[in-house]
Amino acid sequence: MMPNDIDDAALDLLLARAGLSLTGEQKAELKKYYSVVAAMAENVRKPRGRMAELAHSYGFTAEDL
Amino acid sequence: MTAIPTIAKAARLIAAKKLSPLELTKLCLARTKALDNQLHSFVVVTEERALADAAAAEARVMAGTTLGPLDGIPIGQKDICDTKGIATTCQSKILAGNIPDRDAACVERLADAGTVLMGKMTTHEFADGGPSFDLPWPPARNPWNIDHFTAGSSSGTGAAVAAGLILGGIGTDTGGSIRGPAALCGIAGIKPTYGLVSRAGVAPAAFSLDHIGPMAWTAEDCALMLNALAGPDARDPASAMRAGADYTAGIGGGIKGMKIGVIHHFHETDNKVSTGTQAGIDAALATFRGLGAEIQPVSLSPLYDWHACGTLISLTERAAAYDEWARTRLGDFGSRVRERLMLGAFVSGVDYVQAVRRRRELRAELQAAMTGLDVVLTATQPEEAPRIVGMEPWDIGRKPGFTMPFNVTGYPAMSICAGFGAGGLPVAIQLVGKPFQEAKLLRIADAFENATSVRARRPALADAMVPA
Repeated sequence: MMPNDIDDAALDLLLARAGLSLTGEQKAELKKYYSVVAAMAENVRKPRGRMAELAHSYGFTAEDL
Repeated sequence: MTAIPTIAKAARLIAAKKLSPLELTKLCLARTKALDNQLHSFVVVTEERALADAAAAEARVMAGTTLGPLDGIPIGQKDICDTKGIATTCQSKILAGNIPDRDAACVERLADAGTVLMGKMTTHEFADGGPSFDLPWPPARNPWNIDHFTAGSSSGTGAAVAAGLILGGIGTDTGGSIRGPAALCGIAGIKPTYGLVSRAGVAPAAFSLDHIGPMAWTAEDCALMLNALAGPDARDPASAMRAGADYTAGIGGGIKGMKIGVIHHFHETDNKVSTGTQAGIDAALATFRGLGAEIQPVSLSPLYDWHACGTLISLTERAAAYDEWARTRLGDFGSRVRERLMLGAFVSGVDYVQAVRRRRELRAELQAAMTGLDVVLTATQPEEAPRIVGMEPWDIGRKPGFTMPFNVTGYPAMSICAGFGAGGLPVAIQLVGKPFQEAKLLRIADAFENATSVRARRPALADAMVPA
């Protein structure tokens, strides 16, 4: 299994957590794209330390203008 | 009236009592009846409402009590915007019978400005995915060639403006849904600064990435519409609570001495654009130089970084917004939205927060890169409109798009037509301004349009239907 692959048990766990009921065919299709999302999740992980804040609900500052 | 007017031109004629709002509306209705069986740009045509709105506008004009330049102008509202007493379906089986009891803020504001509501415009289901052939309504077709895609999700507005069925309309933009259809349909569309235009009453796609904005034939027309749309709204928790400005103030003002940064690596290496699109960008830069602007390169993090950040946020916020229906009615969504909702299960809470932390870093990066610049420029779409049939499902695997970076940052961005590529299909450029500097962005776009002949050409299908 590639590092970014997901096995059937883990997939079932994530889907159960999300409350989604999928057919076997849908699960097989979805499973192919786990690596795409996992790569994105890896991309946003940076060595930023614990103090780095979120961007949520930001306002624009004078520096923006 | 033998040609499709811009909003600005129609407004001047109406003010001079040389054009009747009622006659203009009847012309648009006739064009819609003649062409929309091919374009599918409307979900609902509100003919009775349009004629009543137009008659009211005409009475105001004759009484000298006109409401301004949008009075009597036929427009469309994307079908994710609530319209009181008029079906708002979000192009979904789930909301097929939904009749809102209140207008969305963008509907109210355009109505208050005297516009004529022509109907509800085709969208991708809940403004996501597409094109889809498993929804209650067909996808919109590109008026430059109806075998080709419009992009989305503001697909109906893009198609109808280009074909001259409406003079302007509302789009929404979570990752490019105003700018994409504007590009492929060869019109102008602006995604304003996050929070400048109220999202109240508009179905969410991803709360923190969602923007509402105008789409029209020209930048000047977008400015006229933005004048009516912008401003604070207590109904929208993300409202910037900031007064709008006169976005037409810079129209016709020229751009001598302005500084334009070009993010070459976005469209030349990170996601290399087609020959036609690159030619359009190169020609646009030559035009800007000719107008006296200074051009300089800008380097940012790779396009994929912006795409990854925006996509993780988008997948998660959408999954949260539609969680209840995803759990109980997943089979009632079309396949493309169902795919996105399923993908949301792959994003953990930690992943989401890391994406939102990354968002802060990327916004700071763009802010620094734009120091000393007026705007930055890149592509809007990688190529001319592809054929609509045969587009692959699971588009999450596609190359990163050029529009998401400016949903991630909230900076204003617009697409304008930059010429024509393969098969006579439009190509576009994307201009990005600093927060709340829409007037400057529109001024630069207007200068480009006036320096070129791109606005002189309409789709052949649209020209053929102009009554003599």
